[in-house]
Parts: sequence; structure tokens; C-alpha cells
Amino acid sequence: MSLAETLLPVAVLLPLGVATLLLALAHWLPPRLPKLVAILVALAVCAFCVLLARASLDGPVRHWFGGWTPDAAGRPGVVLGIGFQADPASAALAAFCGLLFAAAFVFAWGYFDTEHAHFHVLMLLFLAAMTGFCLTRDLFNLFVWFELMSVAAFALTAYPLGRSALEGAFNFTITNALASFLLLAGTGLLYARTGTFDFATMGAALARTGADPVLIAGFVLVAAALLTKAAILPFHLWLADAHAVAPSPVSVIFSGAMVSLALFGLAKLVAQVFPGNAEVMGLVHGLLHGLGLATALVAGLTAFAQRHLKRLLAFSTIAHMGIMLTALADGSGTATAGLLLYILGHGLTKGALFMAAGILLALRRSADEIVLYGRGRGLWAPALATGLGGLLLGGLPLGLMHGATGLMDLSAGVLDRVVVALASALTGAAVLRAAARIFLRASGVPGPELLAPTEREHEKPDRPLWLMALPALTLVALALVPPAAVRPFLGAAAARLRDPSLPPLALPEAGSLDLAPLLLTAVLFAFALLRRRAVRPLSRAVTRSERTGFRALQALHSGLVGDYVAWMAVGLALFALAAAVSAG
Amino acid sequence: MTPRWRLLLLALALAALLPAVLRVALAMPEFGAPTAVLGQSVNALVPELRHVANMVAAVNFDLRGFDTLGEECMLLCAVTGATVLLRGARGERGDVRAGHLPGRPVIPRADATVLVCRVAATLTLLFGISVALHGMTTPGGGFQGGVIAASGLLLLYLGEGYAGWRTLVPSPVLAAMEGSGAVLFVLCAGLPLIAGHPALTNGLPLGEWKDLYSGGLMIAVNAAVALSVTGSFGLLLVEFLEETREPADAPASNEADHEDGTMRART
Amino acid sequence: MTLLPWLVAAWLFAVGLYGLVTSRHYVHLVGCLTVCQSATYVLLLGIGYVHEAGPPVFYDHPPGTPAVDPVVQALVLTDIVVGAAVTALLLAIAIQVQRRRGTLDPQALRPLRPPPSAAE
Repeated sequence: MSLAETLLPVAVLLPLGVATLLLALAHWLPPRLPKLVAILVALAVCAFCVLLARASLDGPVRHWFGGWTPDAAGRPGVVLGIGFQADPASAALAAFCGLLFAAAFVFAWGYFDTEHAHFHVLMLLFLAAMTGFCLTRDLFNLFVWFELMSVAAFALTAYPLGRSALEGAFNFTITNALASFLLLAGTGLLYARTGTFDFATMGAALARTGADPVLIAGFVLVAAALLTKAAILPFHLWLADAHAVAPSPVSVIFSGAMVSLALFGLAKLVAQVFPGNAEVMGLVHGLLHGLGLATALVAGLTAFAQRHLKRLLAFSTIAHMGIMLTALADGSGTATAGLLLYILGHGLTKGALFMAAGILLALRRSADEIVLYGRGRGLWAPALATGLGGLLLGGLPLGLMHGATGLMDLSAGVLDRVVVALASALTGAAVLRAAARIFLRASGVPGPELLAPTEREHEKPDRPLWLMALPALTLVALALVPPAAVRPFLGAAAARLRDPSLPPLALPEAGSLDLAPLLLTAVLFAFALLRRRAVRPLSRAVTRSERTGFRALQALHSGLVGDYVAWMAVGLALFALAAAVSAG
Repeated sequence: MTPRWRLLLLALALAALLPAVLRVALAMPEFGAPTAVLGQSVNALVPELRHVANMVAAVNFDLRGFDTLGEECMLLCAVTGATVLLRGARGERGDVRAGHLPGRPVIPRADATVLVCRVAATLTLLFGISVALHGMTTPGGGFQGGVIAASGLLLLYLGEGYAGWRTLVPSPVLAAMEGSGAVLFVLCAGLPLIAGHPALTNGLPLGEWKDLYSGGLMIAVNAAVALSVTGSFGLLLVEFLEETREPADAPASNEADHEDGTMRART
Repeated sequence: MTLLPWLVAAWLFAVGLYGLVTSRHYVHLVGCLTVCQSATYVLLLGIGYVHEAGPPVFYDHPPGTPAVDPVVQALVLTDIVVGAAVTALLLAIAIQVQRRRGTLDPQALRPLRPPPSAAE
């Protein structure tokens, strides 16, 4: 075996082994050691995956556990074991997860000074699950990592033991556990028809089968599960609760990597397993596209009407997931490249923003932009991170996210571009408005955000500002890397996500400078800053109707777990109806 | 949404799903005559390849052993999470006073209860170990055996009372069992890599079919799982039963609230 | 040809959803989640069932005798562990919620609340 083939399982085994070892010895270890070890492990995972990404440029790196290669059975189409496969995109995303975890561990230094290193055990298991999710080529193995990821995330959300944290974690657990049942049922249906779990073998079997309700149902269930994790309308309701109440270092991982990883998983399945099935691809190009647009718009508007910074960022994450889903549904090579780049850019930006919110929660004991009015003055580092983050979300023509939007626009229609610009502008302007209020004491009268839910919980201020600001600023700086630096790698990654034997895609140079989203952001931002009390009858009527509209949006995100489950059923019904329509 | 509207929404969604479910059910492979080739290939090939009688164990511990590692870690993760959630609020020390409902008499434990519990606990433990040991030959294995062994711990609680139970079952030891079982599993997966083989390669002698020693590395993996599951479930029992305790120095104002919580949690 | 196993699985899932949506107690809700999960057990075991075949344990009967699909049984074992893990976590959360809020009625519990000023 080559070095890369040996390293492939190590990327998962290392964090698993260290986490379990920490747990076994927790009672006897000095308290500082787990923190240091966790950072080192995250960096090591990142380094291994970078090596894997480089090695996989020469062809996919594969590892068959227990030596059960597809030939081991001696029967065509029978894969007895589980395989891992590193293509450039998967390995790069796993490396990104390692990097984000290292940053979150530095950010959390001192925050989780409890006995027994439980936080670090949970986080390392979380990291292992994410790397496994990226690297596996087996559908049931994907389910296992999906579920390990979920269980670690449930526990981490409830970790602060505040009221909101507990209830948010409960909603999160119920909805995502349901999602995992859907994933398992879908896996079962696909197995019943194809007799395998291996992506490539399943793809070959699917291409032979043609139209078949069982396969479509399998896809729908798997997609619904991954869309729940990726927070796509109408499966998205849990996210705002969970991300708003989880400890800030955990929210960094949730928004930065976990949700977009689910979308990456779906993109991988669509590219590797289902391309041979016309009905499924019809659903992808039709329904998923529409859901992406609806998600971007609804969540963008809701984000604009939030006052709790972490909840605002959570809705912004949902909106950006919607944007990514439109790229996934498009499915062309450039759109896939755009999707991959967008995951990185968005993850870095959102990670930095959640860290800035965490700094406010620790040092100013709130994340409510109205409560914090003017109280952030003097905190230049989080101000810089929030300001830059808001601009990047809003379409600043620099950095990875802008490069990604440029790639996605190449094959997008007019409607897509309008919705994407609007959603970006809404989220960017919302972040900038909060930043202006908190750090600059500049604001107009609060609009609909005054009515949004909020929370008084805060985090422990037990570490110096620079230690929290350093990872935040590093992430923002990385998000500002010019996209040209990664273009050749991105071309190979986008092409080989579909088929390992394809030559690298030649991506076009940066297209025209698209300033429309940034201008729209500026307009919305100015609108929020210049807003005055409505005194004249006409403006009062406008304000009233605006409030009614936003109140409906807030009512949709009610926080009641029963509502969330009902909407998930509606989402499944949408898939069923779309499949019935496309089947004629 | 009010519950009524929510129910209406669900009813509409389910009504829309019904035709789809029927179509899928009609298109499913014939019940009792599955077309998936993998399962029958395992039945046909693996007894020869791995010398074990229990195909489910072969799938769990060898063919798809890596799934089982993830699953094992999932259990460990959930138990760690539950420990954090339950222990976070009350701290590390075990509390001395039992939660007590006003008005309910406290009846001392009968000698017969103690005796029966001691006998039954021993038998349960032995049964658990036996189920785990025979994982390769008959239905059973590390998961099932571990759960049975851990549930024997409950009988100790019943027979010995809380204080005796806590002395017999220290939670750091359970955590160490849980963790070291999983570490052993990771080592089983990782050590073959050092020798240049794929992870989880079954390099041990395979043993005899229907023998207690059959399946090679699967035995080590099975033992790791049994150890870890016993620790996990034991820890879970300790943490949940700890909830029935009263903090010895609980302030009076908190007590009513706490009492209520314990009562509802138990009923 | 029988549709029964698939319809039972769908029915269990639907009933579980009904319970989740109408539940008025967290612990009951956790029970309903388990009902939903049992739908996946039925589905998976149904997929692997073979008429007139034995268990995939070749102790009393030699290899080669018809046996049901062992792979889905292994998957169900994993599924059961998943269920145990999630249930343990949910019940731990429920205990803490009861402590802090004094109620377990899902209709009364929501993570973030509108600010007091908005209650006009």
C-alpha cells in the first residue's frame, strides 16, 4: 500500500482513537492535556487530508477495510466490504473540517475547563464522523457517520445546560433523528433493488434498471434526510434553534462545516450514484432547484428580521444553504466547482462571524444587537471580523465566496441570479446592521427585528480577547484568499467528484465584476440605518403591513417541535407530488 | 401553530404521501424472495472464508467492521453526552440522601431480596459473558452480551442499596472500561496498517468452525465491543440512577423543585 | 405477493409522526420517535426475509441451507444501537428541561422567546 492509502483510514482512526483514549483515562489526566491534544489532532487530520487531496490528483486513493476489495467475492457486482475513497474534493473538505476544528479548539481554550475532558471527547468524535462522512464510498457507512455526527452534535448543543440550549437540543435531536430514520429507510430501499451499498456499484446497477418507484423512493428518503441536516426549506426549522443556543465554538462547526457537509454528501450521491436515473435527475433539476430558491429567499428575509446575533447568523446560514442547493441542482461542472468553493468560503466566513458573536457573549454578556447597542465600542477585533464577514456575505467582490458566486452564475438563469443577489444582500445587510449598532452605536429605529425572539444567556469570559480574536481573524483572512489561488485544484476537484477518470475541468478566469449584490446590500444597510419612526399615516400603514409579514415568518419558526415534524412530513409530500408529476 | 392546524397539515401531507407509498410497495421486490445478491453471497462465501457460523457476527465484526466501530463510538458519544447533561447540573460527587416522597413509607430491604439479587446478578453477569463469548457460533455477540452484563448491575442496586452499589460500581472504572474497549477496537483496526495491510485485516489464525475460537480478529473485536458496551450501559445506569438522589446540602427552596423533577422523571 | 410488511412499515412511521405532532409530553414524544424508528426495523427485516429459510447462523444446519439476508440484520443491530443512543440523550435532556422549566409540555417549550416588549 502507498502512503496515501495507509493515511486514508488514519484520518478517521486518529481522532476516534484519541477521543476514546481521553475518555478511558479522563479521570487521571491533567486537565490541560486534552485541550492541547485536541488541537494537535485536528491539525494532524487537516495535514493528512491535505496530503490525501494532493495524492488524489493523480487518481483516486482507495482503501478497502479488512482487504475486502470488490474482487474478494469473485462475483461481479458484489462488494462484501466497506471502501473509503479520497477524491480531491472529499479530501479537501475533510482537511477544511480539521482546520475549522483546530480554530474552534483554540477559540474554546479555557471555555470548557470541566473535569474529564468530555467536551474534547465529543468534539473529536464529531471531527472523526465528519472526516468519515467525506471519505466513505459506502451508503450505510455514510449513515453511520451521519448518525455519529448527529449524536455528537445533539450532546454538544445541550452542553451549556441553559433552558434554551436544552430545548433547542431537544428539537434538534427529534428532527435529525427522524432524518436519520429516513436515511436508513432510503438506504434499505436502494439495497433492496441494487443489492449493494457501494456508491460506484450502486450507480452501475441503477443505470441498468431504468424507471423504478423503489429507486425514486430511495433517493427521496436519502435526499430528505440530507436536506434536513442541510437545513433546506421546509426541513430547516431546527437549525435556527440549535445554532442560536449551542456554545459558540460548537456553532462555528455547525454553521461552518456540518450543514454544508450534508449538502456535499448529497452532491456526491447525485454525481456518483444517480446520474443514470432520469427521474431522479428530474427531481434534482426541478424540485431541489425550487426548494433552494425558496430557502434562500425565506431565510434571507427572516435573517433580516432578527435581533439575536447568533439566530441572525443561523438564518443567514440557511439562506446560503439555499444558494448552494441551486448550484447543486444545476449540476454542471462549473456550478459544482462553485458549490465546492462556496462551501469553503461560506464556512470560513460564518465560522469567524460565530466567533465574533461568541466574543460578545463572553465579554459583553449578550448577543442581542439591541441590548448591546453601542456596547461593543473598543472591541476592534470582533468589529473587524463582523464587518468583513458581513461584507463578504453581502457580495464583496473579493475572496472565495465571490469567486464561487462567479462560477455559479455562469450557468444560472436570471431568476437564480436575482434570488441569490437578494438573499446575499439581505443576510449581509443584516450582519452589517448588527455590527453598526453594536460596534459603532449607529442605527435607525429598529424595524421588525424588535419583535424577534431573543435570549439572555451568556458565556464564560475566562480567556483573553486576543485568544478568541486570533482564530476569528485568521478565518476571515483565509476567506479573503483570491480564488485564482485554488482554481487549478478546483477544476480537478469538480470534475473528479463525478468520475475519477475525468480530466480536470478548465475553469474560466474571473468573470465580470458583479457589483449588484454589494449595491443591494448597501441599499438595505442604508435603509436599516436611516429608518425613522413612522409618524405619517402612510408610513405607519407600511410599517404595520411589514410587521404582519414578518410576524408570519416568525410564526413559521415557532420553536415547537410538533410544528417542525409536521413541516418535515409536508416536505416529504412535496417530493412525492413532484415525483408523481414527473412520472406523468 | 395550534395543535389542530398542525394535525390538519400532517393529515394533508400523509394523504399526499399515500399514493406514493402504495406505488412503492407494489414495486418492491417480492416479499420473501429478495433480489439483493449481497446477503446470499455472504451466506454462501463467508463460512468458508472466515470459519464462523454466525453470519450476522461476521458482517458486524469483519466484513462491515468499520460500521461497527462507528456505531460503538456513537454509543460512547451518547453516553458521554448523557453524562455531561446529567452530571453537569449536579457536579461530580455521589449524593448520599435518597430522593424521598413525603408520605411514602421507607420499607427496609428483606434478606430474601438481597439473596435473590446476589444470585440473579451473578447469573446475569455469567449469562452476559456467555452470550458475548458465543458470538461467533450462535446468535449473540458483544453488543447483546454487554447489555445483559450491564443490566445485571441494576440487580446489585436493588440488592445492595445505593451506597453499596456505588462502592461496587465506581463510575471512573466504567468510563475506563467503555473507553478502553473502544481503544482496543481502534487498535484492531489500526495495527494492521503498521504491517502494511488494510485496516481491520483479519490476520489472526481463523480457528475451527463451530468452535469457541473461530473468526480470528473478530474475537478481539467482539471482546472490545463487549467491554465497551458493558461500560457504556453501566455508566448510563449510574448517571440516571444518580438522578434519584438528593443533594445532602440542598437549599430548602430548591428542594421542592428538585423533588418534583425526580418524581416525574421516575414515573 | 404480499404488501403487508411495507404497509406495516409505512403505517408505523405515520402513526409515529401523528404521535410526535400531537404529543403533550416530552417522554411520550421520545416514545413516538421510537415508534417511527421501529418502522425502519420492519422495513429492513422485510427486505431481507426469505420464504422458508432459517436464520443466518450455520450451527445446527450446515452452510448452504437457505438462510435470510444477514446484512440487513446487521444493519438492524446498528439501528437498535442508534435508537438506544438517541433515546438516552433525549431522556437526559428531558430531565434537565423538567428541572429548569418545571414542565415537559412541548407546546409550552420553545428555545428562544420574543422579548417582553413585543408582547403588545
